[in-house]
Amino acid sequence: MTSRPPTLREKRRYVLIRVEPAGTVPDQKELYFAVHEAVSSLWGDATAALIHMAVVAADNEYVIVRCRRGTERELAIALTTVTVCAGQRISLRTVATSGTIESLRERIAVMRAPDTAVVLPDECTIDGRRYTVCNGSGQKIDVIEKGFKNTTRFFLTREDLEDI
Amino acid sequence: MKITDACVYPRPSGDSSVRRMALEAHELGFDSLIAVDTPACDYAGVHVASGVVIGEIPAQDIAVRMKRHRETGAFVTVQAGDNGHNRAVLGMKGIHILCGIHGTDRHAFDHVTAKMAADNGVAIDVSLAPVIRERGVVRQRALDRYFDLMLLERRFEFPLVISTHARSVLEMRSVREFSALASVIGLDIPDVEQALSNAGMLPSPSSAVKVIQ
Repeated sequence: MTSRPPTLREKRRYVLIRVEPAGTVPDQKELYFAVHEAVSSLWGDATAALIHMAVVAADNEYVIVRCRRGTERELAIALTTVTVCAGQRISLRTVATSGTIESLRERIAVMRAPDTAVVLPDECTIDGRRYTVCNGSGQKIDVIEKGFKNTTRFFLTREDLEDI
Repeated sequence: MKITDACVYPRPSGDSSVRRMALEAHELGFDSLIAVDTPACDYAGVHVASGVVIGEIPAQDIAVRMKRHRETGAFVTVQAGDNGHNRAVLGMKGIHILCGIHGTDRHAFDHVTAKMAADNGVAIDVSLAPVIRERGVVRQRALDRYFDLMLLERRFEFPLVISTHARSVLEMRSVREFSALASVIGLDIPDVEQALSNAGMLPSPSSAVKVIQ
């Protein structure tokens, strides 16, 4: 099958999103299902077809989502309503929109935080319960309670840990 | 003009500490937060105001609880109920925000309550939580209630505030996302800016009466 000449191809836009909590690397297919569900439940099937959304690339916590040109706003609104992916609570933050994937890749490279040596405690105790420190960057520290049943993630700061 | 998220629930109600929420709010473009059951503080350049949410309880009990919270200097938010409840609440002094309109029936907030809110300066809370988290009929019902609320707001011009009712930093949204989500319910950008700054302009809970000579 021959590809269409550039003048006949539909124009697309690429939206760069950051997945939170930090350190979350979602499965590309699962994220597609989550975003597709959000788009079609908010805007309906007709607009979802018009948006023509697809997850085209994932680079750790950064994901590039494609849409048809002119529907970026609808996609961005739908992205804010994504709260769960594969049973895990997430939040999608729209970072930038571009006409090419390449420019977004360059942007990811710029934004990626330099690896600074951050000393984190392995675990901490809050209100008599033991927690594992699972992520930390800058002032932010995420902890997960130790145990089989309760794996709730808590979002704290360094000062919170110092106060405890 | 302070950009404010009018209701968040830090630990122990939620899973994020108030400092973490303030840090996140700063990154998301907010100047202040109203945090429920949390003492007022400043962190990362964000002013955290103390807030109290009173559930749907009889009006007499609300008056009793109001007395208890009057000295604390907290923003008092009351959960909306049926029409009679809302009229009673809007007639009370010291109430700053009426929330949960999206969960009430169609007649709970009508033109009379809208006028009372405008006259008494009680802000009506537009929670984005049902738009973000709910799906299907529940979200459609909430959107329908908000469309009706916008109609009354344009006629009576009572103050609006916008909030996420976030119990986690994952449920907080940026100012730009607030604008985008609010456009779904018919609020344009100047309306959103006004609503985000309204919480900062509500009468300060702890301010004493000033005598002007």
